[in-house]
Amino acid sequence: MPSTMELDDQEKLLDEALQVVKVQSFQMKRCLDKNKLMDGLKHASNMLGELRTSMLSPKSYYELYMAVTDELHHLEVFLLDEFAKGRKVADLYELVQYAGNIIPRLYLLVTVGVVYIRTYSQSRKDILKDLVEMCRGVQHPLRGLFLRNYLLQCTRNVLPDDCENTDEKATGEISDSLDFVLLNFAEMNKLWVRMQHQGHSREKEKRERERQELRILVGTNLVRLSQLDGVTVDKFKQLVLPGILEQLVNCRDPIAQEYLMECIIQVFPDEFHLQTLNLFLRACAELHQNVNVKNIIIALIDRLALFAHREDGPGIPSDIRLFDIFSQQVASVIQSRKDMPTEDIVSLQVSLINLAMKCYPDRVDYVDKVLETTVEIFGRINLERVTTSGAVSRELMRLLKIPVDTYNDILMVLQLQHFRPLFDYFDYHSRKNMSCYLLNNALEQDTNIPTQEQVRTAMNIKISGDGLEPLILSLLAAILCLTSDNSLVFFLFSLRYIVTQNNRMTPFLYSNWLNECFKIFIVQAFSLYEDEISDSKAQLAAITLIIGTLERSRCFGEENHEPLRTQCALAASKLLKKPDQCRAVTICSHLFWSGHSADKGGNELHDGKRVMDCLKKAVKIANQCMDASLQVQLFIEILNRYVFFYEKGNDAVSIQLLNQLLQKVREELPSLEAGDETEQLGKHFQNTVEYLRLRQESPESDGPSYDGLVL
Amino acid sequence: MSFLSGLLGPACEIDVLLDGAESRKTAELKSEDGKVEKHFLFYDGESVSGKVNITMKQPGRRLEHNGIRIEFIGQIELFYDKSNTHEFVSLVKELALPGELTQSRSYDFDFMQVEKPYESYTGTNVRLRYYLKVSIARRLTDIVKEYDLVVHQLATFPDVNTSIKMEVGIEDCLHIEFEYNKSKYHLKDVIVGKIYFLLVRIKIQHMELQLIKKEITGAGANTTTESETIAKYEIMDGAPVKGESIPIRLFLSGYELTPTMRDVNKKFSVRYFINLVLIDEEDRRYFKQQEIMLWRKAPEKLRRKPYQYHYEAAPTQEAHQAEIPGGSNFSLNISHGIAQTVCAVCLPALWHEILQPNGTIVLSFIILGVFLTN
Repeated sequence: MPSTMELDDQEKLLDEALQVVKVQSFQMKRCLDKNKLMDGLKHASNMLGELRTSMLSPKSYYELYMAVTDELHHLEVFLLDEFAKGRKVADLYELVQYAGNIIPRLYLLVTVGVVYIRTYSQSRKDILKDLVEMCRGVQHPLRGLFLRNYLLQCTRNVLPDDCENTDEKATGEISDSLDFVLLNFAEMNKLWVRMQHQGHSREKEKRERERQELRILVGTNLVRLSQLDGVTVDKFKQLVLPGILEQLVNCRDPIAQEYLMECIIQVFPDEFHLQTLNLFLRACAELHQNVNVKNIIIALIDRLALFAHREDGPGIPSDIRLFDIFSQQVASVIQSRKDMPTEDIVSLQVSLINLAMKCYPDRVDYVDKVLETTVEIFGRINLERVTTSGAVSRELMRLLKIPVDTYNDILMVLQLQHFRPLFDYFDYHSRKNMSCYLLNNALEQDTNIPTQEQVRTAMNIKISGDGLEPLILSLLAAILCLTSDNSLVFFLFSLRYIVTQNNRMTPFLYSNWLNECFKIFIVQAFSLYEDEISDSKAQLAAITLIIGTLERSRCFGEENHEPLRTQCALAASKLLKKPDQCRAVTICSHLFWSGHSADKGGNELHDGKRVMDCLKKAVKIANQCMDASLQVQLFIEILNRYVFFYEKGNDAVSIQLLNQLLQKVREELPSLEAGDETEQLGKHFQNTVEYLRLRQESPESDGPSYDGLVL
Repeated sequence: MSFLSGLLGPACEIDVLLDGAESRKTAELKSEDGKVEKHFLFYDGESVSGKVNITMKQPGRRLEHNGIRIEFIGQIELFYDKSNTHEFVSLVKELALPGELTQSRSYDFDFMQVEKPYESYTGTNVRLRYYLKVSIARRLTDIVKEYDLVVHQLATFPDVNTSIKMEVGIEDCLHIEFEYNKSKYHLKDVIVGKIYFLLVRIKIQHMELQLIKKEITGAGANTTTESETIAKYEIMDGAPVKGESIPIRLFLSGYELTPTMRDVNKKFSVRYFINLVLIDEEDRRYFKQQEIMLWRKAPEKLRRKPYQYHYEAAPTQEAHQAEIPGGSNFSLNISHGIAQTVCAVCLPALWHEILQPNGTIVLSFIILGVFLTN
C-alpha cells in the first residue's frame, strides 16, 4: 500500500491540477460565450496541458481525466452548435494541430474530429482512420490509455455500422469500424502490458494492482465491438475474434490474457461463441503458462451450458458437436501445459461433465468419456493416490458427485464404466465420504436396484477398504434395500457382505452394537421371509442366503444361534417343493458344522450328530421325490455332502453310509431314460466316484481312511 | 500608410501611386527595427509602373531643382556594416530636367519587366530590400522619398523531390529509421513522415521535431551563422518499444518562414533544417539534423492565369497545386489534412503517384476531381 505521505502528495497534486482545470475551463467557456473561438481553444489547450503530468497515480489521473473531459464536452457542444448554424470554422482540424504539445493537441484533434464527423459525415471514414493513427504518438502507458479511451468514448455514436440512420453522404462501413476499434484495442493493450515492465521490480505488486484498476479501459474496446450491429457471426469469426486473439496471444502477458479472454466470453453473445469454439479454445492452449486457463474455459463452458439450458433459447445447433469440440480442445490445452496443477485438470473435467450433463442429458457415454479421460490422465501423470486433504481430492469429489446428483439414480451411475477406477484413486477417507454420498442419494431417491449383478457392483463400490466404516455403510445399504421395495434377496446380499467384512476384521474392532444391529437384521430377515415371500424359487434363494449369512456370522451367542439354526432347518423343511426342501435341508447341515457361536470362543460348532440328522432327512425327502431323474440328482448331491463332511472329520458319517448311497445311485442310474440329462448325471456321479477312488488309492496323510468303500 | 515618413522639407510632398494598386496584394515585411509593415507585393519580371505626385505645400511658392528622378533599387544591407551596402539592381528614370516647380504635378513612370532576382528578407544580420526612390535634386539637400516594395520569389515545383529516409542510431542503444515525405517543402506545406523504432535500450521521455533556421552572412573567415529555432513540435510522449511507428505531421503554415536562400549575391544564405530530437529520462538529447529546402509556391490566383507572368508550371504540378487548400473551401481543407496522414501511414506509394511528374498525370487529376466536387 502507498504510504500516507504518498497519499497526501497525491491529493495535493491532484488538487492543484484540478484548480488549473477549473480556472482554464472557466476562461474557455467565457471566450466561447463571446464567440472567441481561438482564445477558447488556447484555454482548452492549457487545461489539457494538465494531463501531461507524470506525477499522478492511475486513480488520481483518472479523476483529473474525468474533470478535463467533462469540460471538454462544453467545447464539443459549442462547436456542434456553431457548425449547425452553418458557421464553418475553416481549417479547424488543421488549426488544432499547431499545438506544440502532443497531449493537448490530440485531445483537441479528437474533439474537433468528432464534430466534423457529426457535421460532415462524408469525412467520417478518413477522420476515424486519422485519429486512431495519430494517437500512436502517445507511447506513455497511462497517458496513452486515457487518450485512447477518450477517442473510444467520443466516437462511440459515430462509428459506421450496418443498419444505421445516417445520411447517404456518410463514408465508411462496418469494416472501417472494425479496423478502428481493433487497432485501438491492440494499441491500448500494448500500452497496458508495457506498464508491467516499467519501474522497479520491488513495486511489482503495486504495478499489478494499478494495472487491474485500468483494465476496464482496454476491455471497453471489446464492449464497443460487441455493440456494433454489423458484427455478425461471420464477421466475428473472420475478423473480430482472430484480430483480438492474435493480439492477446502475442502479448504474452498473463494479466491481459486472463482478463481479456474472460471479457470476450462475457461481452459477446453465446451464438457467436458456439461458432468459434475451436478458434477460441485453440488460443487458450497458446496462452502464457501463468494464465489460469482453467477459469477461462470453465467460464465459457458454464456460459454455454446455461445457454443450452435456457428455456426461451434456441438451444445448441445440431451441427455443432459441442461436447466433442470441448473434449478435444481441453485435452490439447492440458497437453500443452505440462505444469498444470492436477486439481485444475480435474476441474476442467468437472466443467466438461457439466456441459455433457446440461447439453446432452441423455448421452451417458459422454459422461463416461470424461471419466475415462480423467483416468487416462491420472495414469499418464502416474498419480497413485488422491489424499483427502488435497485440492485434487476436492475436485475429484466434485467430478464424481455430478453424475450422482444429476442422474439421481445410482444405477445410471453404475453404468459408467470409469466411475469405479476413478473412485479407487481416493484414499480411504474419501472413499468413505463418497460412498456415504452415493448411499444417501440412493436413499433419498428410493432407487430400485433390480438385479443381483447391479447390487454386487453397488456393493463393490461401497465396500472397498478396510475398517469399521464400510460395515456401517453396508448396514446403511441394507437399510436402503429394506426401505425400498426390493425383494429380500437383495437385502440378504447386503447382509452377506456385512458378514464377509465382519470376519475379516480384527477382534478389537469388533463392536457390540454392530452385532446388535446384525441380530436385528437377521430377525428382520426371518420375519420378511415368512411374511413377504411367496414364490418358491425366491424362497429357496432367500433361505439359502439366510443360511449362508448365519453360517458366516460370529456375533451370536449360543442362546441366539441355536434358535436361529433350528428356525432355518424348520424353514428349509417347510419349503413347498420336495427338491427345494431337500436342497435347503442339505445346506442347513453346514450350519451345524461350520457355524459359529460366540460362546464357543469363536470356534466352529462341529455338531456331527445334527449334521447327520439333516443329511438323513434330506435322503428321506429325496426318496419321496416322484421324478426319477431329479431324485438321482439329489442323491448325488447328498452323496457329495457326505463326502465333504467325512473328509472334514465328522464321526457320524461312516463308510457304510457312503456305500449305501453309492449303491442306491448305481441301482437307479441305469433305469433312467437315456438323454442329455441322464448323461450329465452319469458324469457327475462318475466324477464323484473317480474322486473317491483317488482318495482310496492314495489317501492324504491327515485325511480320513476310505478303507472298506465299495466303488 | 507610412510612405510619407521619408518626406524631407516642407516645400512639397512626394507620393508614389502604383498602377493597379487597388487590386494588388500586399505582404508583410519586417523593418530593421522589427516592426511589421505591409507593402505591395511584386514578382520577378513584373513591371513596376505608376505615378509620382509632387504636391506643393504652399501654393505660389516655387521650387527650384536640378532634376527629378525615380530609381528602382534592390539592395543587400549587412547590419553590422552599414557603409557597405550592395545594390544588385539599380534602374533610373528621369522624370524632369532641371528647372522649377511652381505647382503640384504628377509624373508617370514605368520600369518594364523588372528583373527581381531575390526575395525580400529581413533577418538577424542582413536585409534584402527593394524600393522605389524618388529624388528631387537640389543644391544643398535633395528631397528624397523611399517607397518599399515586397518581392516574393516564386519557384516551380521541384523536378526531383525525393523523400528523406535514413537509419540512425547509437550502437546497441538506439536505432531508428525516419522518413520525411519530401526534401523540398513549400511554405504552406505539411511535413509528413514517420519514425520507426528498430532498437530501444534507453528510456525515452519524449521526442520532438524542431525547425531550425540558419542565417549565414559574410564569406570566408568572416562568416557568421545565426541559428534560430523556429518551431518545437512534440511528436511523441513516453517511451516506445521496438517496432513502434510514430507518425509525423507538421503544418508549416503555422510558422514564419521564408524560402531557402542560397548564396544570395554571394552575400548571405538562409537555410532550414529539421532536427529530430529524442530526450531521455536523464534529459540527455539525441538528435539528427536534416536540411530541407523551402520554396515559395505561386498563390492560386496567379496560377490560374499563368500566361500573365514569367511564372511557369508543368501541367502535373498544376494539378497537384490545386489540391492544396486556398481559401475557405472546407472540404478541400479536410481532405488535404487527411490525405497526408493516410500517406504517413502507408508511405510511400500514394505520394509518388501524386508527386512524380511523369506518367501519373491522370491519377492526379482524378483525385483533384473528387476533391473539387465534394
